[in-house]
Parts: sequence; structure tokens; C-alpha cells
Amino acid sequence: MSLSSEEAAASLNQVEEAKRRSSQLYFYHRSSPHLILWGTIWIIGYGGTGLFPQFSLHLWLALVVIGVGGGIVLNKRHPDGRFQTGPYAWRMAALWLLILFFVFATYAILKPTDGKQFCAYPALLTGCAYVAIGLWRGLRYVIAGIAVVALSLFGFYQIDGLIPTCLWFALIGGGAMILTGLWFRTV
Amino acid sequence: MEQPDPTIHQPVRLKIMAALKALPSGEALEFVRLKAIVGATEGNLGAHITTLEESGYVAVEKDFVGKRPRTLVSMSPQGRRAFDAYVAYLQEIIGAS
Repeated sequence: MSLSSEEAAASLNQVEEAKRRSSQLYFYHRSSPHLILWGTIWIIGYGGTGLFPQFSLHLWLALVVIGVGGGIVLNKRHPDGRFQTGPYAWRMAALWLLILFFVFATYAILKPTDGKQFCAYPALLTGCAYVAIGLWRGLRYVIAGIAVVALSLFGFYQIDGLIPTCLWFALIGGGAMILTGLWFRTV
Repeated sequence: MEQPDPTIHQPVRLKIMAALKALPSGEALEFVRLKAIVGATEGNLGAHITTLEESGYVAVEKDFVGKRPRTLVSMSPQGRRAFDAYVAYLQEIIGAS
């Protein structure tokens, strides 16, 4: 039994395609519970900001701590706990810290002039991050990101008042994350 | 490798091995997801998984999620070695031409 170079090349293409699909499905599957967790946090954070704006900073700090802790617990549910000990652990933690730093640094340099800007910016950033992730890891993230960006811009320009705006962002940002997480579970 | 590994050489089994190889070491893939990746029928996929299991290339584990039965397939260290050798064999053919 011997193969021609054409047959060998065709087999290698099949190998690459199967690896790509498997890797993509694995990523969707592993992302799902994290998206549902952060979607819930998003709803509580924006909802709380809209209803009790005076406590928003403390609320968000508490929620971020819960989110990071929850993420660690979700990863620990994994049998070998790879994400805590492997190369992904510090990268994921560093990525979250970078995003938080970027949001707060932007607020410090380019101070929002009203609550709507304060609400819209993280939602836009999240939507763009989804699209960026999707360009590397799969179309579903791109679709979810475009939906979040479009709905964020709609809310910013079409909805008046801080409370309705915050509730809109709670609904679309958090809702989109939870729906995306549920969608990924069906892959 | 003068002759390709006949177990992995079969196209469906090659796809199964490639799909499992893409996962981090020790990770398993659910049967239904494997079926979607490989594009085989349930019976066909099951038969090929049995062949790979008998060769010691994959491990099969069955459990329940709630009341739903679940079959998990993972690649053994022996399977990883065999797959790497097979891919090297393919690359050698292309390189030699």
C-alpha cells in the first residue's frame, strides 16, 4: 500500500479540516458557561446601575470579583483543571485585567459626559471583542458581536434617559451573552 | 514508516483521530459532536471507534448527564504517537515528490 503525493496532500487537507472543526467546537463548548455567567453579571450590573446609580462603582467591583471567582470555579469543574495550570490560565486572567484597565483608563482620559456614554462604551467594546475573537475562532462569535454592537448603537441613539438606557444595555448586553452561551451549547 | 498504519489510513478513522488530536491532551469529545465533525452515520462512526479502541488508539467512556446517556471518546498516548507518525508519513510523501 503506497500513496501518491496528491493522495497524501488530500489526506493532510482532511486532517487539517477535521482539526479545525474540532478545535472550533471545543472552543464554543468551553465558552458557553462563561458567557452565561458574564451575561448574568452584566444584567445585574447594568440593571443595578440604572436603578441605584449611586452604588454603581461598588456594585461593578463586587460583580467583577464574583465573575473572576465564578470563572475559576467553572474551570475547576473541568476534570483536569487545565485552564488553571496550563498556559491559558495567566493569559485569560491577563486579558480580563487588560480589558478592565482599558475601560477605566479610557474613562479617565476621555471622561464620559453623561451616563449613556458610560453605559454604551463597555457594550461596544464587548461587541467588538466578540467580532475580533470570532475572526479567529468561529462565525458564531462574529454574529453575536455584530448583534451587540448594532443594538448598543441603537440604544445609545434612540433611547433617552439614564435608567431606560441602562436597562436596555442590561437587556441587550447580558441577554446577548446568555443567548450566545446557550446557542454555543447546542453546537 | 514504509507502509502507512492501516488502522489510521482509513479516511473516517483518520478524521476521528484528527478531531481528537485537536483537543488538549486528556480531553474527550462527545460522540454526537464527533459525528458532526466527521460527517459519518451513527453506526459507521461507532464501528470505526470500536476498531480504534481495539487498537488502543482511543478510549471510550460512557456516563449519564442527568438521565441522558453520553459517550465520550478520547485519544490515548499510543494513539497520539501513531497519529503523529502517520502525519509525518504523509508529509514525507509530499516532501519527496
